[in-house]
Amino acid sequence: MNRAATLAAAFLVTFATVTGGAAVVGFASADGAAPAPEIENEHYLQDDLIKDRTPGEANVEMSSDAAPQTVVVDPGIEPSRGPIGPLALLGFGGPDVTDRDIRPLANALIENGHEVRVYTPGESEQRPPRGPDADGPTPLGEELAEADAFVTFRTDYDQAELEEIETFVEADGRVVMATEPDAAFDRPGAASLDATLGTTTKPGYVYNMAENDLNYQRVYATPTDESGLTDGVDRAMFATATPVETAAAEGDELRPIDGSELSTSRAATDAPLLVRNDGVVMIGDSDFLSPENAQRADNDVLIGNLADFLASNDRNPDRQPPTAGGTAEPTGPTGPVGPTPTDEPVEPPREPPQNETSG
Amino acid sequence: MSIDSTAVTPRRQVAAVVVAAALLGLVFAPSVYAVTNETGDTVAVVEIEGPITTALADDVEAELAEIRANDSVGAVVLKLDTPGGAPVASERIYKAVQRTSQQPDLPVIASVQAVSASGGYYGMAPADDIYVLPTSVVGSIGLNAPAPQTTQPIAGPSGPDKVGGNEIEGWARQQTLADTFINAMMAERGEEFQMPREEVAKADVYLGTEAVNNGFADEIGSLNEAIHEAATRAELGEYRVDTRETGPDSRFPFLIQTDTQVVAVYANDPGYGEIEPMGLSYVHLGAVPHVETIERFSKNDLEAGSGATNGTAAVSGGGSA
Repeated sequence: MNRAATLAAAFLVTFATVTGGAAVVGFASADGAAPAPEIENEHYLQDDLIKDRTPGEANVEMSSDAAPQTVVVDPGIEPSRGPIGPLALLGFGGPDVTDRDIRPLANALIENGHEVRVYTPGESEQRPPRGPDADGPTPLGEELAEADAFVTFRTDYDQAELEEIETFVEADGRVVMATEPDAAFDRPGAASLDATLGTTTKPGYVYNMAENDLNYQRVYATPTDESGLTDGVDRAMFATATPVETAAAEGDELRPIDGSELSTSRAATDAPLLVRNDGVVMIGDSDFLSPENAQRADNDVLIGNLADFLASNDRNPDRQPPTAGGTAEPTGPTGPVGPTPTDEPVEPPREPPQNETSG
Repeated sequence: MSIDSTAVTPRRQVAAVVVAAALLGLVFAPSVYAVTNETGDTVAVVEIEGPITTALADDVEAELAEIRANDSVGAVVLKLDTPGGAPVASERIYKAVQRTSQQPDLPVIASVQAVSASGGYYGMAPADDIYVLPTSVVGSIGLNAPAPQTTQPIAGPSGPDKVGGNEIEGWARQQTLADTFINAMMAERGEEFQMPREEVAKADVYLGTEAVNNGFADEIGSLNEAIHEAATRAELGEYRVDTRETGPDSRFPFLIQTDTQVVAVYANDPGYGEIEPMGLSYVHLGAVPHVETIERFSKNDLEAGSGATNGTAAVSGGGSA
């Protein structure tokens, strides 16, 4: 037994020595597979990563103490579709500007004693197809005849309406036109309206990758100079804006801040986003005055200034109707008081239909 | 007693046993040595192909974890062909690749096939090097998202943000999500990018030829060249290639873009449970067909079978929801 134990021990010791030696040598010469260290991703913890989600507050105030004025707003509702369809709730097929979108501006006007009329052509008043022999003013013309100022988000006016708008401007009516970059894609007529108002829009949209309001298309603009429109505005925010221009001297009111670029050229741009051509203000964005956006930057101040601009006009609808055909001639006795010269160039376009119907 | 009867002396008996043990030990020694000293002679090729989903992230994480623990793998090549996908799945792949890449003596090289953009780029960014083919497409560092909308008040939910939400808060959330991605890419490859952060954030895509110049990729090369380079860096000499397939066995899901967002479709004739709206996504839309395109090409099928019509209607419904 003693001998057998000795032999067994000898076997085990030898076997263990050989295999153990192999294991030790193998382990010792193996590439270390140390556990991976804790990975610090500091870029996930940067202070400026979390954006400020405070919506802000708006306080739209007017400084004008003008007598009660009548302001017509055309939000661009399609008459054939009715005011707002159920799809509009999902963002499809509805008007580009809803009632709540114009509330900050409309409320400021109403609270200061002015009248706001929203122009919504009914089903029976099919807008675009007005025959050449149509008589009298258009429904829009009738509204403008009684209005002192006009705010529109539409570009696709027919020729008769464009003439009425032009006459309205010439008869001291004030116009605020707000457009969108995508209007050029799906709404015809912008060029005609531009020609009527003496302004232009540039294809493309402005963006700013360096400094913006939570999205590259929500750009900031600053005043070019001191003016009534920009009084108190340090910077305004425009959501998806197209550059607008006017030939009028010192007409540029707000330009995008440094770092802004134009989508079509991908080059830096300082083309204005808000211009004024005498009694016309053209804005390359129609979203800046929505309730949410009115709370951003100094948009509320800008909206108040626009309300002042609309209310502070020299127009007298009783003596300066927009259409020469219907009501202008009976007001002849007051002609010397009103700006009659401006009425004359507008008359010829309206005359042929009248001649046809009378003859 | 029998031992005593033999003529072998005790000393010889011990010697014989020792020799026997030594011989037996030598038989086992190579396998014992191999277990304790595995040489990394394998290049693992991990496929990351198709839309980046939870299932794909699960597989990629598991494969890379196994590779990190497996000493026989000396180098890793990621074979990528993906337009991106879900943010969280992209982040999971990013973290797994990052951990693998930080393992000592384990080179990780990304090899882009047709496209590795958006979430796909996110996932491969921590690799030591990015190999592209001349016409591969890389980049698209940014977020796809619909514009936050203000909705009518909805009665019933317990709080104002349970359904709907504030438009500005939505913009803030989306910008934070986009910057999470962009910041990570700047941290990984900011020194390589030959452009400022603002330019990277434009989310453009670049061909391979351009990418090796602007820092979005490192080398022009095929998968085989990436494998060889990885093996060379690991000093493997002779090596074998072990391809690890990941993701679901079928070709699903495929991605479809609608006017407002991207949806993942899990069947050819999808029912309600086979469509997943992605909402906010890290996807390169150039590589994702629009639902209208699919409907146009499948028009004959739609007219032939009423079942197919129902299925496509479900696709459209999922997109506009």
